[in-house]
Amino acid sequence: MQKTNYNFWKSFRESCKRVWKAMKEELQMILNDWGFIIVFFGATLFYPLLYPMIYRNETIRNMPVAIVDESQTFLSRDLTRRIDASPDLEVVASFPNLEEAAKAFRRQNVHGVIYIEKDYEKKINRNEQAFVSIYCDMSSFLYYRAMMLGANFAILDAGNDIKLQRLNQLGVTGKTAEIVASPFEHEANILYNKPMGFASFLLPAILILIIHQTLFFGLTIVNGSACEEGRLYNDIFAHLNGLTYEKLLGKVLFYFLFYITVVCYILLIIPKIFNLPHIGKSIDVILFMIPFLLAAIFFSLTIASFIKNRETGLVVFLFSTIVLLFLSGFSWPMSNISRFWRTFGMLFPTTYGIQGYIKINSMSADLSQVKFEYIALWIQVIVYSLTAVVFRRFNYERYAKTNKSASNVIVEM
Amino acid sequence: MSLNKVINREWKRMKVRPIYFLASVGTMFFCYVFFLTFFAEGLPQQLPIGVIDKDNTSTSRTLIQTIDNSPQINIIRTYPNFSEARNDMQKGDIYAIVELSSDFEADLLANRQPKITFYVNDAYLVAGSLSYKELTFINELAAGFIQQQMLHAKGIVGEENLMPILQPVAIDTHLIANYGANYGVYLLNVLVFGVLQLCVLMLTIFCIGVEIKEQTVGSWLAIADESVFTAVVGKLLPYTVLFSVIGIIGNILLFRFMHFPMNGSLIRMSGATVLYVMAYQAIGFFMISLFPRIRDTVSFAAFYGLLAFTYAGFTFPIEGMPRSARIFSELFPIRHYFKIYVNEALNGTSFRYSVHYIAAMAAFLILPVLVSKRFQNVIFRTDKSFK
Repeated sequence: MQKTNYNFWKSFRESCKRVWKAMKEELQMILNDWGFIIVFFGATLFYPLLYPMIYRNETIRNMPVAIVDESQTFLSRDLTRRIDASPDLEVVASFPNLEEAAKAFRRQNVHGVIYIEKDYEKKINRNEQAFVSIYCDMSSFLYYRAMMLGANFAILDAGNDIKLQRLNQLGVTGKTAEIVASPFEHEANILYNKPMGFASFLLPAILILIIHQTLFFGLTIVNGSACEEGRLYNDIFAHLNGLTYEKLLGKVLFYFLFYITVVCYILLIIPKIFNLPHIGKSIDVILFMIPFLLAAIFFSLTIASFIKNRETGLVVFLFSTIVLLFLSGFSWPMSNISRFWRTFGMLFPTTYGIQGYIKINSMSADLSQVKFEYIALWIQVIVYSLTAVVFRRFNYERYAKTNKSASNVIVEM
Repeated sequence: MSLNKVINREWKRMKVRPIYFLASVGTMFFCYVFFLTFFAEGLPQQLPIGVIDKDNTSTSRTLIQTIDNSPQINIIRTYPNFSEARNDMQKGDIYAIVELSSDFEADLLANRQPKITFYVNDAYLVAGSLSYKELTFINELAAGFIQQQMLHAKGIVGEENLMPILQPVAIDTHLIANYGANYGVYLLNVLVFGVLQLCVLMLTIFCIGVEIKEQTVGSWLAIADESVFTAVVGKLLPYTVLFSVIGIIGNILLFRFMHFPMNGSLIRMSGATVLYVMAYQAIGFFMISLFPRIRDTVSFAAFYGLLAFTYAGFTFPIEGMPRSARIFSELFPIRHYFKIYVNEALNGTSFRYSVHYIAAMAAFLILPVLVSKRFQNVIFRTDKSFK
């Protein structure tokens, strides 16, 4: 009994040594190849700096708009001033008629036109309803939003003053007039994205995507180059000697530990540097990233087993970056994604990774509130670790069979 | 003719390895199906929100009912307090919370301005902004309804007397081309053609780079009668045709099948698509000439290709970016293509406003000329080392 125990510990220790050796080999392989250094160090370092810099303004301020003021009166100029004062809009041009304004709009010099009718002041003085037309550039959601926020608030604001005057004329004055003008108090709180900004909304998703895609494309390149450069034979040799699992474990552990440091840099340091949302607990982010990284590694290893050339992964799967981003439900809301695409999205670690990270990091959810994503990721870890092992073994056996002579050479060496 | 022979050789190569059609027809077919069905709803409807009704009277219930009747939002739960509602918001189940103060009805009747509070989750900017806009709108409606009651009591009746007081300045909103603020219209034209440029870049680099890598340059040049020009044109032409056809199918799907706004000419737009494909082929050729090792070039091209989605300036406008980004964006044909799309499809602008964007895209076709010498050296060197 004691003897078997001793043997178990001995072989366990040797296994550990072989796993450690496999990890060291993986590190050496990466450091000896510029292609890997670019993907694993360059891209993970550079991308998270680039995107926050591009989007650092969060939103557009002072969007250029044109005014067509046919009224040319005190009240119409007052309205123009109110619009210009809004942080969203800036009146950069004024035209005598709509045709002239349309020309500037077509040259894309202005992204909106505000038209004040000829009888604007007259109607207000006669206690009638006056009209203002706004024309929005719809080529970008942010143009539309700036116009709706800026122009609507300025016009409503001007309208409210007139409303109070008219109530005064009717004999409704003081506090009562105010109450009639706004019967209830209304307070709007924008949560989890104070500047209502684009960067605070997009970048958490992009950061997770950078982690996943560098890992994914990196591992397809690793596998492709192993096939091309004959390193696969070492793996096959190890497999024939019953060391498949130790080699694989070494590989997985290496990428896991390496990417834990990458995660600390991308998810804990970058948001602080660029003042992106980071109200979650760091420990929760790391705990959540454990199943995410494992799922991503095993998922990538599974797909990578089909990649036989170094460049194929990028050529075939580059587009997936865009598809995965939308499948995650960060933009088009998850509640409105069709059942089919939601189910399809369940296949990918990024879907849960992005959702979970946004909830923890931007909305300060704790782990129990992302239980769904957390469990889903662990299920992916189990499923994809099985597929990764099965495909690897299958590949090795097929190669060993078809290239018997080649593998013999290595065995003999 | 040797050009025909090169084209034939390329066609045969394309049929042998699945990667060629997988990374062109396969990818684009998937993306058409994906993007066209993904945003099919146009504008997200029935966004889930929550309510905290601290008053629980017939007035507060009527107000909640009014909110729930809006097609854009959907009250999925009523919460007893804020912390429970926030818990669901943090889980991502609801995008907004409406809270009605206690004594809402009593305060309203006693003219004490009761309080209605919105909490909007803008971490999900689209869902948050849309529910915020809708809630503000309903709030105005409800306030208008109550004002009407108050004015009735003062003896003011009839729309012509009420409206000037309720809404002294009316706003008449025109959303140019995209009347329903359809989300797909904002995104699809650039997303779909953004993926197209990824495919064009990658396959251009691949189809040339793989000849260098696998040392088949000799047979490639031999069939082109040792003319590098014929060899390159014959090789790239099948892809020009293939990607142009795919792109034009995309235009037809978007503007005819999906009925996205097209206020200009579909034919001119498709002409721009062909030029767009050629511009990216030119960039691909430029890259593989500069860095003839395909393994490095694909990484670089991936970086450039993905940045196109940023520098097109279709989600976040270029004016909002740092100045350097504005200059960079000129180096991406997709930026010019997007401008042409805005002119042609959305604003229905006369073609002369688009001429300089067309010229900018055409300018990319000069790139191959700039590197032709270097490319010849690369090719002959590989050819010699092989021989």
